[in-house]
Amino acid sequence: MMKLSPKLSQKLSYMLLFIATMLAIIPVLIIIFLIIKNGYSAINWKFLTSMPEDGMRAGGIFPAIIGTFAIVMCAIVITLPVGVCAAIYLNEYAKDNFLTRLIKLAIVNLAGVPSVVYGLFGLGIFVMFLKLGVSIIAGALTLSIMELPVIITTARGALNSVPQSFREVSLSLGVSRWQTIRHIVLPNALSGILTGTILSIARISGETAPILFTAAAFYVPRLPDSIFDQVMALPYHLYIISTQIPNMPKNIIYGTALVLMMMVLTMSFVAIFARIYFRKRRKW
Amino acid sequence: MVNKINVKKLSCYYNKKCVLNSLSINVVKNEILSVIGPANSGKTTFLRTLNRMSDLEVLFSRAGEVFLDEENIFDMNMQFLRRRVGMLFAMPIPLPMSIYDNIVYAPKRLGLINKKTDIDALVEQSLKDASLWDDVKDRLHTSAMRMSGGQQQRLCIARILAINPEVILFDEPCSGLDPISTAKVEESMLELKKKYTIVLVTNNVKQASRVSDKTAFFLMGKLIEVDKTDTLFISPKEKQTEYYITGRFG
Repeated sequence: MMKLSPKLSQKLSYMLLFIATMLAIIPVLIIIFLIIKNGYSAINWKFLTSMPEDGMRAGGIFPAIIGTFAIVMCAIVITLPVGVCAAIYLNEYAKDNFLTRLIKLAIVNLAGVPSVVYGLFGLGIFVMFLKLGVSIIAGALTLSIMELPVIITTARGALNSVPQSFREVSLSLGVSRWQTIRHIVLPNALSGILTGTILSIARISGETAPILFTAAAFYVPRLPDSIFDQVMALPYHLYIISTQIPNMPKNIIYGTALVLMMMVLTMSFVAIFARIYFRKRRKW
Repeated sequence: MVNKINVKKLSCYYNKKCVLNSLSINVVKNEILSVIGPANSGKTTFLRTLNRMSDLEVLFSRAGEVFLDEENIFDMNMQFLRRRVGMLFAMPIPLPMSIYDNIVYAPKRLGLINKKTDIDALVEQSLKDASLWDDVKDRLHTSAMRMSGGQQQRLCIARILAINPEVILFDEPCSGLDPISTAKVEESMLELKKKYTIVLVTNNVKQASRVSDKTAFFLMGKLIEVDKTDTLFISPKEKQTEYYITGRFG
């Protein structure tokens, strides 16, 4: 076999790694570019704040925005306390035995279950068995179950980032374990939990499969009154208008995608800036 | 000569491996007992067992008894024990809050104080007793993380004094400090023994000879010798002790 000179192999591997990086970035940039180029003409105040008209071929996407907002907020209100409490238990209280390790492993693996499976699970449990019907609450519960492993994992990471020595000092002063958690660990883990939560919100805002059977409706002529109503949701709305409705104006499809993308991106950026802000303020 | 702490046949194990072997020793009230010995001699384990910090570790197990004023500490509530037996760690670890809040953190949680004026008085008294008051009285509400190492360690002492314990355990308190800060910490130890009983673990043999009333020499998890500091340093009974304190060990 021919042996490459060190200089040439250095150049080749550099090229290879650089191309791989570009392959990762370029499609994303193209997607963003296309959506903005085709969609920005649809975006105006009326589009964001009015009901759809003419079989959704005109008018706005207000109910879909509200619907997504309602589902996601409900989901976070349910997930956050449960997830943080579970993370505290696993990190601060649970003894390191076989069962705990099994639970931790299960949590990591649950994050890899396809979202459509969660959707079917939600349909079976919340919609049919608990008779919640297709509703905001059923969709929110389904999203909660899906997001719980992620919230637990990020919250555990945040708790772990608080130095062990702070806990030791607090305990050595005769302060109880719960007080230590409440007054030392949680305040210092809060920033990490918060950024993790914002990223979770961003992630579940764009999820379609879990709400497909549990919360989302093809078209609802009015806004929801309670959490037991079914709603329109942005990701599902986008799916419908791009596949189910003939003669759909292209700019509305792209406009809807743009709105959804901006929502997710904005939240991701908020999370990034929050992280930078908290890191600067960190006291150790 | 009242015995404050009475250790009877204490054995400690990490992961089934014996690190302290059937140790029996007394600590007299208002005295400083220093514990010297090379690495892995079990001296830190001994110290951490006295306020049951070692019980927090998963792989730790123990046998034997330790009495604090005739009361077995292993039958006591852990939090209550740690309130009576404070501990100063090797590295100064201020909590990530202001100097003021570092002092009042534990007393507040333990419900020892409530009134604002009492709290202020407690902060002042604790800082004075740790000879830190003059350094920080103008910046009590700034972060404790920004103090120098020596100041941080004295803050940690003040923090312990604020819960008014009976015994204070020092775990190599000067290992990260410069000579002047070390001298200040030693000075405050001599001052503190009037009110408290002190156990000092140190790698610095000279420090043991400077401050302690009694000195114990540990080796490989065994107590080799314990005696009045002067006696032990001038005429140790055991060859191993002599080798260690004269630096001919190993």
